[in-house]
Amino acid sequence: MTPLLTYMDRPVEIAPGETVLEALLRAGIDAPSSCRTGNCQTCLRRAVQGTPPAESQNGLTEAQKAMGYFLPCICRPSSPLNVAPPDDAGARLPATVRSVEALAQDVVRLRIETEAFPYRPGQFLKLIASDGLERHYSIASHPEEDPFLEMHIRLHPGGRMSRHVMEIAKGHRLHVAGPLGTCFYEGVDKDQPLALIGAGTGLAPLYGVLRDALRQGHRGPIRLYHGARERKGLYLREELEALARARDNFDYAPASLDTGGDLAALALEAETQRASRTAYFLCGGENLVKRLKRDLFMSGASMKAIRSDVFSPASL
Amino acid sequence: MSSLYERLGGENAVNAAVELFYRKVLADGRIARFFDGVDMDDQIAKQKSFLTMAFGGPNRYTGLDMRNAHKKLVAKGLNDSHVDAVIENLNSTLRTLGVPEKEVKEVAALADSVRADVLGR
Ligand SMILES: Cc1cc2nc3c(=O)[nH]c(=O)nc-3n(C[C@H](O)[C@H](O)[C@H](O)COP(=O)(O)OP(=O)(O)OC[C@H]3O[C@@H](n4cnc5c(N)ncnc54)[C@H](O)[C@@H]3O)c2cc1C
Ligand code: HEM
Ligand code: FES
Repeated sequence: MTPLLTYMDRPVEIAPGETVLEALLRAGIDAPSSCRTGNCQTCLRRAVQGTPPAESQNGLTEAQKAMGYFLPCICRPSSPLNVAPPDDAGARLPATVRSVEALAQDVVRLRIETEAFPYRPGQFLKLIASDGLERHYSIASHPEEDPFLEMHIRLHPGGRMSRHVMEIAKGHRLHVAGPLGTCFYEGVDKDQPLALIGAGTGLAPLYGVLRDALRQGHRGPIRLYHGARERKGLYLREELEALARARDNFDYAPASLDTGGDLAALALEAETQRASRTAYFLCGGENLVKRLKRDLFMSGASMKAIRSDVFSPASL
Repeated sequence: MSSLYERLGGENAVNAAVELFYRKVLADGRIARFFDGVDMDDQIAKQKSFLTMAFGGPNRYTGLDMRNAHKKLVAKGLNDSHVDAVIENLNSTLRTLGVPEKEVKEVAALADSVRADVLGR
């Protein structure tokens, strides 16, 4: 019989009426908590197998719920759950490089093939080159349209994964794990305005979300703001301009610093008026995402309507 | 007599108040700096904890928990004037939502009752 509770595949005893948090702590598993009443979200964990009771997902976003996130301090499971830390990417899978192409001077498009990797466009994966060299990259492809996983990788001078990516070619083998992240088209009203704002390779997840929204029949206006340091860094520009001409409800607003464009200023000026009605996706560096998040929230956007991924550098 | 939390409308009241309250706090030059640097999504959840507690709702925080949660802020200079400012923002949030004066006062008194722990005295 499947045990009621497992943590990273290890069975954990849980008494009737006991919460998952209590059971984890009793088993000596490191499990942070604070309020223990389901408000502060300090204890957030993810069910990688099984369905957590609805009340244990109270207050979480639709994307978090869809990913199996729940609050252990108020979770009394009635069916088996396999629980993992919120950022656990799970087992690694082998993958093969299908192509590596330049998208801009310092951005490449990496396409890889792997078996059975269910994901939502806009999520990110862990790309594993070797032991000790793994980095997160957002997924720009669409699982129902593309027979590969696509990533847009900025080549940092001296960056370890950057250097590796420059050296690999079709047929090269590596590993992936995941997916992770809640930056995907879920919990968005089809008639709601949608604003996608990203800098540099922050376009990758937004490109995925854009295609998913269009595919799912989003009817509200969609505006994609893309920023780059230089005009030639606005990769996929022609394709996005063509899409904007072809679609009534899609607008593309590029901004490059060298021609005086300021992504945050451009986006905020257009968005503050409609912030309270719009669903946001923000992707890029920490400063940009923080500023946009705060300013949009102060302009009336609900925090639940703001999804974001910060492309923070890896710690090692 | 139903509890303060029930009279206010329970969890729905907390949900209605939380973003309004947090916007006021971030716009208040006296206290905004204490909320810098912490992720906004995490903060919103913490504010829900704060409001649930101030509304007299279910919570299991101890005085020690409150000391620990605000320890770093005390090190950054948190004092009575900041607690007053938070309570002021709480009052104006409740008034904006049309909460009767009697309940506004009860909430303020509840928040004030943990002042010593929050300030680590
Ligand atoms: C959730 C998430 C999603 C991400 N998605 C993408 C993506 O879609 N595309 C993408 O290109 N990257 C993405 N990143 C960043 C990526 O994971 C790596 O951090 C990045 O590619 C650098 O790795 P590296 O090994 O080449 O450089 P490292 O060897 O790790 O770093 C070398 C040097 O490069 C510089 N550097 C590294 N990262 C940054 C940065 N972000 N900004 C400024 N300078 C930096 C630093 O000076 C650093 O010392 C994402 C990160 C996260 C957390
Ligand atoms: C008036 C009484 C107060 C009460 C009842 C109260 C209550 C709380 C609660 C319940 C938490 C969440 C703790 C957790 O689960 O981690 C919290 C966190 C916090 N409080 Fe207060 N608080 C009070 C005053 C203040 C004041 C005056 C400030 C600053 C001006 C402040 C700033 C913060 C911050 C920044 C956090 C988050 C800390 C972190 O995430 O590490 N609080 N508070
Ligand atoms: S400990 Fe606060 S939500 Fe679980």
